[in-house]
Amino acid sequence: MQLSIRVTGEGADILSFLLAKNPANLYDRQEKGHRVRLFYTVCAPTEAEAVLYVTPDPIELVTGSPDSYDITHHINDRQFAISSLFCSFARQALATALSGRCQEDYRGWVNHPFDMTLSFGPVASELSDEGIADLFYPLGYEIVCERKVVSSARTERDDPTARWLTLHGTATVQRALRQLFVLIPVMDDYRHHFLDEAELERLERFGDGWLSEHPLRGFVVRRSLRFGDLIRLARERFQWLDEVSWSEPGAPWEGERSFSDGDCMRSGPRIRLNDLRHEVIAQRVAELPERTVVVDMGAGEGKLSIRLGAIPGVRRILAVEPSEAAHRRMAKRLDEATLPSGDADIAPIWGSLLYADKRLAGADVMILCEVIEHIDEERVEDAVHTVLGLYAPRALIITTPNREWNALYRMRTDLRHDDHRFEWTRDEFRMHCERWAQRHGYAVTLEGVGEVSEQFGQPTQMAVFTRGGAPRG
Amino acid sequence: MAECISLPHAGIALLVGASGSGKSTLLAKLVADGTLRPSEIVGSDQYRVAVADVEHIGLDENGRQQAQYARDRYRRVTDEAFAVMGEIVRARAALDRLTVIDATNLWPDDRARFVRIARDHHVPAVAIALDVPLATLLTRDAIRAYPRGKQRVRQQAEQFRRHLRSLKTENFAAVHVLSERDLNECEFVRLCNPLVHEVSAGLDFIGDVHGCMNEWIELLTRLGYAPDESGVYRHPQGRRFVSVGDVMSRGPQSLLAMRFALDHVEADAAYMIDSNHGWKIARWLDGRKVTLTHGDEKVAEELEQYERTHGRDETERLRTRLRDFLLTAPSHLVFTQNGWPQVVAVHAGIRDAYIGRNSDQIRDFCRYGDVAGMDEGGRPIRRDWFREHASPEWIVWGHDPRLEPLVVERTVNIDQGVVFGGALTAFRFPERELVSVKAHRDYAGVTESPLSSGHTERFRPPDVGRFVDGFQVDASIHRGVVKIRPEHARAALEIVSRFAAPLEEMVYVPPTMSPSPESSALPGWLEHPREAFRYYREQGVTTLVVEEKHMGSRAVLLLFADEEAGRRHVGRATLGTILTRTGRPFFARELRDQVLARLHRDLTQAGYFARHESDLVLLDAEIMPWNLKARDLIERQYLHVAAMAQLDREHRLADLRRAHGAGLAVEAWTAEAQAQLDSAQAFSKVVQAYCWNTEGIRGIQIAPFHTLALTGTTCFDRPHVWHMEQGRELAEASDLFVGTEYRIVTDEASEESAIRWWMELTADGHEGCVVKPDVFVPRGPKGGLLQPAIKVRGREYLRIIYGMDYLEPENLARLRQRSVTRKQRHALMEFALGVESVERFVRGEPLERMHECVLASLALEAEPVDPRL
Repeated sequence: MQLSIRVTGEGADILSFLLAKNPANLYDRQEKGHRVRLFYTVCAPTEAEAVLYVTPDPIELVTGSPDSYDITHHINDRQFAISSLFCSFARQALATALSGRCQEDYRGWVNHPFDMTLSFGPVASELSDEGIADLFYPLGYEIVCERKVVSSARTERDDPTARWLTLHGTATVQRALRQLFVLIPVMDDYRHHFLDEAELERLERFGDGWLSEHPLRGFVVRRSLRFGDLIRLARERFQWLDEVSWSEPGAPWEGERSFSDGDCMRSGPRIRLNDLRHEVIAQRVAELPERTVVVDMGAGEGKLSIRLGAIPGVRRILAVEPSEAAHRRMAKRLDEATLPSGDADIAPIWGSLLYADKRLAGADVMILCEVIEHIDEERVEDAVHTVLGLYAPRALIITTPNREWNALYRMRTDLRHDDHRFEWTRDEFRMHCERWAQRHGYAVTLEGVGEVSEQFGQPTQMAVFTRGGAPRG
Repeated sequence: MAECISLPHAGIALLVGASGSGKSTLLAKLVADGTLRPSEIVGSDQYRVAVADVEHIGLDENGRQQAQYARDRYRRVTDEAFAVMGEIVRARAALDRLTVIDATNLWPDDRARFVRIARDHHVPAVAIALDVPLATLLTRDAIRAYPRGKQRVRQQAEQFRRHLRSLKTENFAAVHVLSERDLNECEFVRLCNPLVHEVSAGLDFIGDVHGCMNEWIELLTRLGYAPDESGVYRHPQGRRFVSVGDVMSRGPQSLLAMRFALDHVEADAAYMIDSNHGWKIARWLDGRKVTLTHGDEKVAEELEQYERTHGRDETERLRTRLRDFLLTAPSHLVFTQNGWPQVVAVHAGIRDAYIGRNSDQIRDFCRYGDVAGMDEGGRPIRRDWFREHASPEWIVWGHDPRLEPLVVERTVNIDQGVVFGGALTAFRFPERELVSVKAHRDYAGVTESPLSSGHTERFRPPDVGRFVDGFQVDASIHRGVVKIRPEHARAALEIVSRFAAPLEEMVYVPPTMSPSPESSALPGWLEHPREAFRYYREQGVTTLVVEEKHMGSRAVLLLFADEEAGRRHVGRATLGTILTRTGRPFFARELRDQVLARLHRDLTQAGYFARHESDLVLLDAEIMPWNLKARDLIERQYLHVAAMAQLDREHRLADLRRAHGAGLAVEAWTAEAQAQLDSAQAFSKVVQAYCWNTEGIRGIQIAPFHTLALTGTTCFDRPHVWHMEQGRELAEASDLFVGTEYRIVTDEASEESAIRWWMELTADGHEGCVVKPDVFVPRGPKGGLLQPAIKVRGREYLRIIYGMDYLEPENLARLRQRSVTRKQRHALMEFALGVESVERFVRGEPLERMHECVLASLALEAEPVDPRL
């Protein structure tokens, strides 16, 4: 990770005084075991260039990390990418320039706008070139982006993940460095340190005089502070954070994607559909004559289980889930939840559709809400066989996405979620359900959940199986 | 006539008789003539001394108070003495010993206590009552050292007489009442355990015949038996066959089968044990009221037919012979060698504690197994008693038809339902080989064949309750069980639940492999073959195989000769499965089908399955190129890092060169930057070395280096050179397969040459080699399992493991301190689990048994171990 500052024109050699680094010497320091060096390639009256580079200790960088048992953790770009690591290791070397407290004789030059070229990198950022330009262009810089691709023979990759930036403009040394110290961590979203209110102070000090005018100030603040409570504090403190400024940089930018919930459509209605689905399931359960014991297979964080607990007549809910992380979140949710009826008992239990579990047999209702599409299509058959053949609940409710409806989402992928192994059309789902019902002696009714499209049906499809409905095949 | 009284080999013999009836005298005689050992006798007098140091308490004391006191004391001493005695008798019964109780035993309550102990421990209790006239008793009492007194002797004699008749109803296995004369004339014999026999020249256990005589004869002939002049099938080496019962019912020739069994048992050429059908027929022949169903009615039909052709008398004789034969058939048999039990034959099941013992409860268990009740369809719900078998003898059983012989914890089920069109199986002992002949047809013709339900039984999903709170696996080649903690069990269950292939296809999880415990002694090297060679030499291994280590992704291939074989082995018609080392499908469905179809075509054309007489092959392999599976990872991680590093270092070097040009003394920094750029480029080159273009199946290479199993057998007894040759054979059969280069190291010269080979291989970034002892399951001088393999990775290759700059001296110095202890421990456990799971797969054990090994391996992988090792 490296930064060079080149200034030209009258008084260019003053750069060495502003940086407080003698051009005749090599600056070589250790910052917490990581090497920081500064040298000049030239320092003449009309042209000067200082180069500062940091070479972190790669072994020190990965020890003691919680991820160190993951092989990929040991081969990473952190020792190269210009990021918050750079800002903190280089800060000492650039302290004088950042603060503007150089020798008395040169104070006048602190606010002198130089013709300046800043060259730094390598940059690892998920922002597009345009997105990066949107950060620097409003500050009066021209930008050149150098890209580096190393590809395997397998794919000719054209999406470079390593870039080097060169900015050209007119700026004071102090302002330019401060801008970089704010924007480098915005480009590279990684943070190696704990974020607290000191970050607000950093933004306030380094952003002084330019950030409040930046069209993407909201984005800069959000990426800098990351956490909701810090961002709330910033909104209280910085009046310049108005509603307009929350827009995002130009090019498409992948928003946070939730992998925690069962469904992950990439647009607004997602939350509403999930709730709606739970509502419809709750309705169907409430209509069932027998509903004392309900099994929620693939309960996730327990949202549906809690909703089911509010149904009169439901006494016991087995919230079955195979993920340890989901269990932890479920425990928290159950702790916080207040059940309206108050007397249904929700028991989180570890389990999965691929194993047999005696505790699940003979329930009144079993629910597979957005579960089957997470199982390889070839295994679904066995899983359903286990449910209907072995556990034989009085009623079974299955919901799963309706693939046809995907045409109405603007999706970049085939399936609605990274972990979906398949999504069925209405015909496919009906065919499977009817076969299962026939084989195990159940009656089945099908319906949809969510907004109705004449052509594509509804986003979610649902099947309700009831035992004894059909003759055994 | 002199009576012959037999004492059971183990159990409780109660003497019953008044004081002076001659109990102690009799016992002294039996000890003297060697019939009994002194330690087999426990007497009330003996324990009165033991607990209270008194041999006798006279009750004829003068004075009321003294008499009262004496009685009271007598009762207390007697109670304590009997308590201790009871405990001794119980312990001896538990240990299957004979105990003779030398006490008056006049009261039914006292006797009931011992009968209960005998019943609880499944040993017989017998009573021997000494019926001596009162006059004799009184005479004897008068002259003994501590006379009991007339009154007491008279009371006792009266008591004896009063309960003598009821003695027969007290659940004794035998009651002998001996007069004085009988006592003098009778002979006492010690019986051997009728359930115990010698293995002798060898045994051939035969599964449920159910009247399928043709198959029985065919099987015996296959086993080498031939009829002698009287028609008795004998083995030239003197082996005997053992029927595990149910020779009759359901099938075509029950009568013949029963007579065949009877003749051979009488001719000492065979054994047969009791069974559910046998018992039913026995009681029917005995004239008891039983309803003949489940094919038993066919026996009755055959007997009627027999009567029509042979006449009434002949039939009656046969009826009596068969009745006696079946009624007295032993519940089970224990075969010993040098006095140690080796193998047990039982029809439906047995508990370890029942072996070699007898009681009504045991007989029922042996006939019907562990039945927990009936299901809705009236079929018995059977519990898996065999999972609890822990003692070292083998148990051979039938009763519950299964498609394939089921081997679980040294139990083997050999009922393959010949009468349902399956097969008749023999289990040879001590060879432990299975031999079977196919049924000529389905004789029973029932709609819901037990064979088909047995098949689905095998693939029944495992019970999650067994694993979720932690579990342990007994992997036979590993010392001590492998224990899995709850958190690791759950991590593995989660992985399996979310990503894995169908559980029945997860047959084997390749074990992790460690580098040598010591880093290379050469400066500038982290790993080098020399340390691996030394590790094995120090363990006494003299022949090593050094194999080229392919750089791709690990895969386990299970290939079938045809789709039906798939149905037999994994319950689904398929040509095979290809899984990653964590049990995920290796290829997307379409490509998988292409690869399988090609391999199937090639292997079939090359006659592979026919040549190996196998309908399957299980391969441990590496599939290349690396990017086939790891493309995302390579691009996101390795190639990205390569680009970042080069960009960083190119700029630095350029700027330093300009500074140098301007006269700044940056030579040292420049040299360093140049070296770092070189490392970055070397890293980039290594990463790209394992990637190449593939299109469909074109460009894919599969390098099988272990042939783990073929039908009915694992290949862990084959040396690695054999496995290498198998790899070559496969590579010749199919273009998709590639062989693995290897060298054999036996001495210094071959060691040096192997090192040179390794250096050449790795100079360009080839991953390196794996050093293995020539035997697959290597053991050290003390018998402990050795590392099955040690990897030695190339110097350049290690850049993608430890980072591009790992060779810088200060980095290398730190990395050399790595510890492989934990890694090696895991490698051994996972190796043992892998071997175990393949063995269980080959034996056709239930899915749950195989899956516990697989799950345990995945759970071990969830434990934190430095992934760079």
